[in-house]
Amino acid sequence: MNVKRLETSRLFHRFGFGPQPGEYALALRDGVTATRARLTNVPLGQAADFPVIEPEISDLGKRPKANSPEVVPFSIALRNQTKQIELWWLDMMVLSDHGLTERLVWFWHGHWATSIKKINYALPMFKQNKVFRTHALGNFYDLSKEMLNDGALQLWLDGQDNTVKAPNENLGRELLELFVLGVNRYSEDDVKAISRALTGYQVVRSNGLVTINQKRRDAMPISLLGKTAVFNGDTLIDFLVAREDCATFIAERFWYRFISSTEDMPSSFAAKKAFASRDIATAVQAMAADSSMQDTKFSMVKSPVEWFISVCRALELTPSALQTTNQLMNFLDKLGQVPFSPPNVGGWPAGQSWLSSATAQYRLAFATWLIKQSDLVALQQIPREARVLESADWLGVPEWSARTQSALRTAVDDPARFALLALCSPEYIVSA
Amino acid sequence: MDTISRRKFLSLTTGAIAVGVASNFLTLDQIAEAAISRPLPSDTPILVVVTLYGGNDGLNTLIPYTDSIYFSSRPDISYKPETMLPLDAELALNPSMTGIKSLWDQKKVAIIRGVGYPKPDHSHFSSMAKWQSASPEKHVSSGWLGRWLDSQPEDPMLAISLGSVLPPMLAGNKISGSALPLGGLVIPKGSLANQCIKLSTPAPTDSNLMAAAATSMRNLFSVSTSIQPVLKAPAPIAVDLPTVNGGNAGGDNNLSQQLDVVAKLIAAGSPTKVWSVSLGGFDTHANEANAQAELLGVVSTSLSRFLSQLKSTTRSKDVTVMVYSEFGRRVKGNASQGTDHGTSGPMFLLGEKVKGGFYGDQPSLSKLIDGDLAVTTDFRDVYATVLDSILKSPAEQTLGKWSGRANFLQPD
Repeated sequence: MNVKRLETSRLFHRFGFGPQPGEYALALRDGVTATRARLTNVPLGQAADFPVIEPEISDLGKRPKANSPEVVPFSIALRNQTKQIELWWLDMMVLSDHGLTERLVWFWHGHWATSIKKINYALPMFKQNKVFRTHALGNFYDLSKEMLNDGALQLWLDGQDNTVKAPNENLGRELLELFVLGVNRYSEDDVKAISRALTGYQVVRSNGLVTINQKRRDAMPISLLGKTAVFNGDTLIDFLVAREDCATFIAERFWYRFISSTEDMPSSFAAKKAFASRDIATAVQAMAADSSMQDTKFSMVKSPVEWFISVCRALELTPSALQTTNQLMNFLDKLGQVPFSPPNVGGWPAGQSWLSSATAQYRLAFATWLIKQSDLVALQQIPREARVLESADWLGVPEWSARTQSALRTAVDDPARFALLALCSPEYIVSA
Repeated sequence: MDTISRRKFLSLTTGAIAVGVASNFLTLDQIAEAAISRPLPSDTPILVVVTLYGGNDGLNTLIPYTDSIYFSSRPDISYKPETMLPLDAELALNPSMTGIKSLWDQKKVAIIRGVGYPKPDHSHFSSMAKWQSASPEKHVSSGWLGRWLDSQPEDPMLAISLGSVLPPMLAGNKISGSALPLGGLVIPKGSLANQCIKLSTPAPTDSNLMAAAATSMRNLFSVSTSIQPVLKAPAPIAVDLPTVNGGNAGGDNNLSQQLDVVAKLIAAGSPTKVWSVSLGGFDTHANEANAQAELLGVVSTSLSRFLSQLKSTTRSKDVTVMVYSEFGRRVKGNASQGTDHGTSGPMFLLGEKVKGGFYGDQPSLSKLIDGDLAVTTDFRDVYATVLDSILKSPAEQTLGKWSGRANFLQPD
C-alpha cells in the first residue's frame, strides 16, 4: 500500500471525521508533513461565520411528580432539549472548521463516559460537553479538575451520595481505573482512601451545579499511593496526574482510540513521552507523527457515529437538516451509538464489536437513507470511466481492493448504488 | 436433507470465510436453501447464556437468611425474612424470584455458590473481560465461546447473540458468533444482494478488521435468510402460563423479548448451539433493594416463561440456561442504600438436563477477605463442564489445561 496515501487517509479519518470532497486529493499534493501540520494545529478560536448555532438550554428545575399535570410539558421540554444538544453536537462534528478539536471532544466524551440516561437532564450534559470543548487540546490537569467539579460526572458516579458517614466508591474507583491511572495501578486500599477524599460533593441535578458540603466531607488525612495527606479535589488531581502512570495510561487510551484497538501499545509510542507536561495537544501531535501511522497492521474500525459523520462530510449533508431527525436518531440507536448515551462508564465499544451482521444491515439501510438526501455532486463530477479509482480520493480511502473495485464497477452508471457500495465497503467501514 | 445443497453449503462455510482466502461464492438462493434445509439434529444440546451486566449482588439473590451478619451488615438493603423464598435452612431466594423458586422445587435449578476466579478484580471491565475470555490470569482478546467456535466448522448460525453489538465472549481468533437484533434483519434483495455479496467477498489485501467487516456483511445473508421467516411466526406457547389472545402475557421487557426470539428459533430448528442474551442495570451503588428485586424479577419471570415455552417444542430437554454476572457486591452496604463492587456470586444453571441442588460452598460471612466474600468455585469449573457435556467439545481446547469440573448435570 502507498504509505503516503495511507498516512494522509489516517490523518483525515482518525484526527478528524474524514475529508470533505476534494480535500484528500489536495492533501496528497501538499505532502504528509504539511497536511499533518495543518490538520493537527491548535486553533486560536472559532471562525466568526461559524455555521452552527449553540442551543439555549434552560434549567427545567425539579421534575414534577408522576401523574401530575405538570409532568407532561416537563417531559416534552426535556425530550426537546436532549434532541437539541444531540443534533447540535452532530452538526459540530460535521461542520466544524477544526476536525481535531471535534475528534478530541468525542474522545474525551468516551473517556469520562457519562450517560444522559442516568442524569435525565440535558443541561448538565451540555455543560460537560463544553468542558470537553474548552480543554480538548489543553492541559490534562485543568481538564481533570474541571471534571471533578462536573455535575453530570458526579451524578453519574453517585458522587453526591459519597459522604463521611459511609463512602460510596463509585467515583473514586473509576477516577483511578478509567480516568487517570488505569487498572491495577493502585490497590483496593487506595480505592477506599480516595473515596473518602472525594466525599462532600453535592449536585443540583437539573443544572449540574456542584457545591461542597463541609459537613458531609471527610477532612481526615488519607493514605493514598504512599502519600498521607488531607486532599481536596484539586490537590488530589495534582497528585494523581503528576504520576508517571497517568502519562502511560493516557498514552494507552490514545493508542486504543486513535491507532489500534486490537494491538498492544509499544513502549516507544511517541505520545507517552510527549505527554510529560500533560499538554494534550503536544501528545496528540506526537501521536500523529508516530511511526505507527505508517504501519498497515494498525487498522481501526469506525464506530457508527464516526462512520456517519464522515459520510455526512462526503455527501455534504448537515445532520440537523436531515428528513427526519427522528429517523436519524433511530438509525444511530439501532447501530448502538447515540452521542451523550455511552453504554457504561467504560465508554464506547471498539473494533470488532461494531462489525456484527446486525450493524451491517443497519449500515446499509442508513446509508441508503442518507444517499437519497444528497445530490452526490462530488461523485457525479467524476467521469464514469474514472469513477471506480477516483472515488477513493473522494472518500479519503488509500486504495480499493480488487474485490471492492469489481463490486463498484457493477454500479458505475448508478451513482446512488455506487455510493452505497463505497460507503459500506470494508475499506470505508475500517480506517486502513 | 438434500445432500448437494449441504455439500455446497459446507464448502461455503469452511474454506471461504477464512480470513484472506479467496474462493468462489454461491448465490444467495443456494445459501438460503442450505441454511433452511439443515435444522439442528434432534437431541443436540443447546446452551443459552444469560449475562447480567453491572455486577449482580449475589448476597441479595441467594440470601443467607438465617445469618445475623447478613442483616447487620446491610440494614438498609436487606429484605424482610418473611418475604424471602427459602430453599433450605440457610439460603433463600430474593422475594421477586418466584419463577425460579418453582423451577427449583421441580429440581431443575442448579445453584453454584461462591463463583469467581483467583485475585478478584473489582473493575466491571476487567472482571467482565475475565469472565468472557475465561482467562483471568492473562489478558487475551478472544472469548471462551469464540475459541470454541474456532474449533468448529465455520457456520454463522452456530452461535448467535441477541442485540446489535456482539459480546466479546463470542469473538474467536478466527471465527466470531453472529449478532441478531430484536425485530430481525431486513436483507437486501435482487441486484443489491448480488452486489453486497460481491462487496463482502474476502480480499487478499484485507486487514483483519476489514476481513471481519466483510464477514459481517456476508453473514447477513446466511443468517438472516434462514431466520427471517421464523421471526414472523408467533412465539411458542408457554404451556404453564395463562394465555391471552393465543399468546402469553408478559414479554414486555427486553430480556423476555430476547428470549422470545430464542424460543422461536430453537423451536424452528435453527442450527444454533449457543445463544447469548443479556440484561443490564445491576450496578446498584444506590437504592439497591427495589431496583435489584425488579431486575431479578425480570430474570426469574423471563427464564421461567422461556423454559415453559420450550415445553411445547421438541427441544425442551436439550436446552440448558446459564446465568452469571461479572462479580457480586461488597457485603457491607454503603451510605446510599446500595453496595459497592465485590467478588464472588452464585451462578444459576437451569433446564431439564440439570441436576437440581446446590454446588460449591457458600462463602462465609464471618470469614471475609478485605470485606469481601471468598471465592469457593472457579468459573472455569462450570465452563469446562459446559464445554465437555453440553457442547461436547474438549474443554482443554478452549480453556487450556483445566481439571476442575462442576457436576451439575444429570448423567447422560
